[in-house]
Amino acid sequence: MKRFIKTLLHNLLLAFLAFIWLVPIVWLVVTSFSAYTGMNTSTFFPKEWSLVNYKNLLFSADSVAQFPNWFKNTFIIACVVCVISTAFVLMVAYATSCMRFPARKPLMNAAVIVNLFPGVLSMIAVYFILKTLNLTNTHLGLILVYSAGSGLGYLIAKGFFDTIPNSLREAAYLDGASEATIFWKVVIPMSRPIIVYTVISSFLSPWMDFVYAKLLLNSGISSQWTVAIGLYNMLDKSLINTYFGQFCAGGVLVSIPISVLFVIMQKFYVEGITGGAVKG
Amino acid sequence: MKKKKSGIGGFFKEFGEAVVKGDLFVKLSLVWMGAGYIRRKQIIKGILMTLLEVAVIVFTFGFATEYVRDFGTLGTVQQETVFNIVTMQNEFNDYDNSFMILLFSVVSFVIWFTFLVIWLKNEVTVYRLQKKAQAGEHINTFVEDLQQFKNDKFYITLLALPVMGVVIFTIVPLLILIAVAFTNYDQGHMPPSALFTWVGFTNFKNLLSSGGMTITFGYAFRKILIWTLVWALFATFTTYLGGILLSLLINNKRTKLPKLWRTLFIVTIAVPQFVSLLLVRNFFANNGIMNTICANAGITQWLRDIGAISTSYIPFLSAPGWAHVMIILINIWIGVPYQMLIATGVLMNIPSDQLESAKIDGATPLQSFIHITMPYMLFVTGPSLVTDFVKNINNFNVIYLLTQGVYTTTNQAMANSQAKEVDLLITWLFNLTQSYYNYKMASTIGIIVFILCAVFTLIAFSRFLKGDREEAFR
Repeated sequence: MKRFIKTLLHNLLLAFLAFIWLVPIVWLVVTSFSAYTGMNTSTFFPKEWSLVNYKNLLFSADSVAQFPNWFKNTFIIACVVCVISTAFVLMVAYATSCMRFPARKPLMNAAVIVNLFPGVLSMIAVYFILKTLNLTNTHLGLILVYSAGSGLGYLIAKGFFDTIPNSLREAAYLDGASEATIFWKVVIPMSRPIIVYTVISSFLSPWMDFVYAKLLLNSGISSQWTVAIGLYNMLDKSLINTYFGQFCAGGVLVSIPISVLFVIMQKFYVEGITGGAVKG
Repeated sequence: MKKKKSGIGGFFKEFGEAVVKGDLFVKLSLVWMGAGYIRRKQIIKGILMTLLEVAVIVFTFGFATEYVRDFGTLGTVQQETVFNIVTMQNEFNDYDNSFMILLFSVVSFVIWFTFLVIWLKNEVTVYRLQKKAQAGEHINTFVEDLQQFKNDKFYITLLALPVMGVVIFTIVPLLILIAVAFTNYDQGHMPPSALFTWVGFTNFKNLLSSGGMTITFGYAFRKILIWTLVWALFATFTTYLGGILLSLLINNKRTKLPKLWRTLFIVTIAVPQFVSLLLVRNFFANNGIMNTICANAGITQWLRDIGAISTSYIPFLSAPGWAHVMIILINIWIGVPYQMLIATGVLMNIPSDQLESAKIDGATPLQSFIHITMPYMLFVTGPSLVTDFVKNINNFNVIYLLTQGVYTTTNQAMANSQAKEVDLLITWLFNLTQSYYNYKMASTIGIIVFILCAVFTLIAFSRFLKGDREEAFR
């Protein structure tokens, strides 16, 4: 009996915590189904339920809300960034983990130092450089910014490659395989978990990013925006009373695919992190 | 390539040897980079090297000198409108643009530096070719040289593009901004209409000194620095401890359906931050739902009675003190599930025999937590704790999305330096550039942030990462 009560209390505590953690999410979902388009401040649950926010968001785009466009923009950017970043990360990880060359240690130390500078700092100069190249307010500029520096995030993948036994590569080498062949035919096929992790995380970064998009796509042409700035703009003081419902609907629509990917990714994330941490 | 000479010293030694002992063509390679290759019948390589050299020379004299010439002054000719008699129109004179001078000078320096390295390497390679030829060894054909990039030199193939990306989009911008910290580039000196110039350490002095009547940057800097450190400390440790406790709670034997609970918590972090944080900010807005609930429950009235607030609402995110606490609390909401994920992974690997023998010896759960679980966690995740701390110093999203446009400071001295009490150094920096075009101070703050992060990381690395454990598991 005592044990039963303990178990019950234990699970109740968890339920209570989960309740706290989920309140804002529940609020997001219920508000998106509200018939009232502004922010409902008097009650937690909407007084009238309706799909009007979703309908407005998806089918009647106006100068402020262009959700289908934003979604398309972000999706295209994310796909390109995903391909480039994954390639960069795996390339750098293989070079630093599996090959030995004089510049290896200096390069790795330089990467640590560069990573210490706040990203926001270099961002301003990046903006000016892109402006000189006439790439501000273009998606190409945003793609370059997201993917160019991605090689610096190689450490988790390197930690994974470090666990692949040397003997495997040496065996392939004795069979006459070139370093490139080993990379493609031996190491890459063995690294499914870390590749999945890298693919998903680099696909997600443009969806999650807010700062760079805000900085680069600042022309005010709302059809060019990404989801993040679009939704942020909806909460402008002058717009929030008309668009808060749509913001919630948009939030729900973006969160569903991202959550699914995230849940898949976290499995590999834990593997990568712990693997990297234990193995140094 | 058989005997490897180590380090930069060895490299220069070989370079010197090449210059002294090289034959005519090796010596000629100092001026005409392709010479040595062509002598050894590596015609294509010779042509490529020559083309590279020509390209750099054309770049230098056709483009770079025009800007680098003015690097010392950052331009002297102010933009003016001049009446052109030929076109009968007002036109700009041939003015200097300080920022362009700075930008292209830095780009030129980077290109020249790269070229210098290639030039030095070239001389050594050519000398090695000469030695090979004298020893009668086989000299690679161009195709064989290309094959090398799939084998011994495969790392060059792999690293070329990523490193180039980092150099162009991270290092060049950083160099420019480090330079800007030593100039007076601000709203009063905006190119192209005005020039800016070098001012030495003036910006650092303004930021670090306590200042006179007009300079308030020192005051704001100290306040924001303290809050940044306090924030980073709390944000790191609350989420770290919370994550461990939550994961212990979920992985406990008593928990029914642990997977379900875990997923529920993960959902909160799977929602993009710009959605969840903007939502929470409206949840706690002055006229938001939380205030309605508190008012209905009588909490607002009670707080008024005890004098904690003087407004008709609870200023969750709009008054100092309240906002500071709320930001840390909201960050717990955001951060704990993340740490829970990591802790779950680490705790799975904890040696269970230790925990069991402790249990047999009669240790309470609390004792085994303090003496077994925590030391193990700290050992494994210690380094990531420090990276988290550094990340929190630079945690832009949480602060910006929660307070931008919501929180307005009432402190005149803070407002004078365009700062808010809840700003981190990093958001202050961002606002200085975005809304006030104060690039000089923003860059100065950026350098300070870097020094801060570097110090913490260095301490951490020397403490946690002693020795090279890279090969331990091979």
